[in-house]
Amino acid sequence: MTSATGGATQAPGREVGRFAISVRAGVASLIALGLGLGAWRLSAEPGSTRLALSLTFGALFGFVLQRSRFCFFCLWRDLMDRGDPRGALGILAALAAGAAGYSVVLGAWLPDPSGTRLPPDAHIGPVGPILALAGAAFGAGMAISGSCISAHLYRLGEGSPTAPFALLGTALGFGLGFATWNPLYLASVSEAPVLWLPRHLGYVGNLGLTLALLAAIALPLLYRLRPADAPRSRPVDPLHAIFVERWPTWLGGLAVGAIGTLAYLRVGPLGVTAEIGGRTRQAAGSFGLLPERLEGLDAFRGCATLVRDALLTQNGAFVLALVLAAFAAALAAGQFRPAIPTGGQASRGLLGGLLLGWGAMTGLGCSVGTLLSGIMAGAVSGWVFAIAMFAGITVTLLAGRRLGLLPSAA
Amino acid sequence: MGSARREPGADASSRVRMPVPEIAVPSRTLFALRLALAALAAPLAAAPVHAVAQTQTAEGPLVSTEWLEKNLGAKNLRIVEVSVEPGIYERGHIPGAQNVVWHTDLVETVSRDIAGPEKFAALVRRLGIERDSTVVLYGDNNNWFAAWGAWVFAQYGLVDNVKLLDGGRKKWEAEKRGLDTRPAEVAASSFPVTPVSNAQRARLADVLAVARKERDEKIVDIRSPDEFSGKIIAPAGFQELAVRAGHIPGSVNVPWAKAVNPDGTIKSPSELKALYAEVGIDGSKPVITSCRIGERSSHTWFVLSRILGYPVRNYDGSWTEYGNTVGVPVTNLAGTVWGGK
Repeated sequence: MTSATGGATQAPGREVGRFAISVRAGVASLIALGLGLGAWRLSAEPGSTRLALSLTFGALFGFVLQRSRFCFFCLWRDLMDRGDPRGALGILAALAAGAAGYSVVLGAWLPDPSGTRLPPDAHIGPVGPILALAGAAFGAGMAISGSCISAHLYRLGEGSPTAPFALLGTALGFGLGFATWNPLYLASVSEAPVLWLPRHLGYVGNLGLTLALLAAIALPLLYRLRPADAPRSRPVDPLHAIFVERWPTWLGGLAVGAIGTLAYLRVGPLGVTAEIGGRTRQAAGSFGLLPERLEGLDAFRGCATLVRDALLTQNGAFVLALVLAAFAAALAAGQFRPAIPTGGQASRGLLGGLLLGWGAMTGLGCSVGTLLSGIMAGAVSGWVFAIAMFAGITVTLLAGRRLGLLPSAA
Repeated sequence: MGSARREPGADASSRVRMPVPEIAVPSRTLFALRLALAALAAPLAAAPVHAVAQTQTAEGPLVSTEWLEKNLGAKNLRIVEVSVEPGIYERGHIPGAQNVVWHTDLVETVSRDIAGPEKFAALVRRLGIERDSTVVLYGDNNNWFAAWGAWVFAQYGLVDNVKLLDGGRKKWEAEKRGLDTRPAEVAASSFPVTPVSNAQRARLADVLAVARKERDEKIVDIRSPDEFSGKIIAPAGFQELAVRAGHIPGSVNVPWAKAVNPDGTIKSPSELKALYAEVGIDGSKPVITSCRIGERSSHTWFVLSRILGYPVRNYDGSWTEYGNTVGVPVTNLAGTVWGGK
């Protein structure tokens, strides 16, 4: 993050932000230092090791998301509109690396997966029509607001005009989710089976099947990689490649898989909605807007929205560090471009966010908590959420464009 | 220290040191001393195996973190973690410790009861515990559920050889002692299916007799003062509730955490005696411990029965049974009464 390099190797004529590179790199370094000091200080306090780790993993996750533009919606749009499979391959790389990593951890923690036990706090949720509905609503929310929740979080760090509205909408959507939870639980979720592949296939069988499925999806995509996408031959400045240029998505994917495994080993599965959901639940409860009881909710795995009274929770630290690290990364790269939101951005953000929040609450997690962390752990719920989510994006995007409500393909 | 404990000589060195356990020597010096003693004692270690095994047994109901670390490799020792937070055992436990999940392993999951004889025997066999094994229980939350585990073990006759790690997880972690993430592998035992003994357990009829002054016993209610007074039925977030608020007539309130020091260790016997004597509990009359679902009160059961040696039974029905029972007397100091708005 030195100032000279970033400035010298910048592409000529490209908009890189309003401040000189030295100022941007300086502020970014200060944020990185602050996060480091925060983690160091927390790690010295008794009982705060996991908080310190959450902060560290959140910062790494935010940095990786921003640098590789790891965005579920963008990758799908790239594939649909431009036939560019690179983003999709990045997600598959994340799932493959994470599934392998999780298998190593799970095998140690629960040597015999065939019993009635589930591995501790892995995101393995109930599988049924409500999960599919939640995934589809989440996908629709992505298409309308332009991102999933994790991408809105890192875009908040990039100064996105839509992200604040989308995240506000997400909180409202969680409130809506709590309001509709009890009837959905009683009608369907309570009877939905919690399916965990290693219980039926063993760890080896599960990993084999997961990798085979991922390979089957990846193979046709690999054939669509164009020669133009091959690495350029001009000499690469390493600092520029790390801090300014967009990382190849597969590299981001491998990093996400590694962070997912390490986070599960030391703290818990990756997820970005527990804090948003928990705080919403707390606020809604204090305004008397919450049902007296949320039936069965706290017994499920996933991004738990259990109200905690701590000022800084693990997921809170994770999300805070994610946004700050993404801000620092965007600043250093010249990608921090705050803008005044237009009416359309605000309304699409709010409406999309509402669907994102409802979907993430009802699906017990989002594209990170249910999809990534679920598939990595061998949960059928992760796959079902993924299929429904991509279906939801496609239908909403096509319909929205036809009706002229969503921006057309660039 | 982790690697040293697996050397056969290290056991012998702890034997040499056992009679003088509390010497304030810097740990590096101590380590060097132990290594030196281990080297000296190594040639002798092979013969007096039985002597070694005997001196490794800790006296009393508590073991210190220091003792446990030195005896991690002891043959007849079984270490069992009973924690509340899921995943905490898997992410790092005391080396050699096995995991027990309190709400599935130690209870019947359909009916409300402790694990039945068959289920308990199966669990204990899996843990490799024999009748003469030394069992050290520990857990998070100041050994809250580890003490409950000790109470369940006691009902199947595993009493004096079941100990708590003083300070539990909290102290072990604070002292930065080693943790392991690999599951322990022990050979299964042949623990027989044993009928349950009710000597450690009070039932509704017992507390009712005390409430109606038909029996002269003491009830210690270890819930928070607000639950005791009837201001609230249960702390926020707890699912298991009662239809009425308050406490069993004649019971006294000593919140369970009062028996614990800030570092998680249990207070000294003299401090404990004074704490309970204040509310008239001195061991002269039988005591019943009670709380909301009977788990936290096990901690006080352990303190009173195992450390002070008082005659104590734990009432695991507790307020969720008593406060839901029709026609029993209730004391409600806060004056919250049942009714509509």
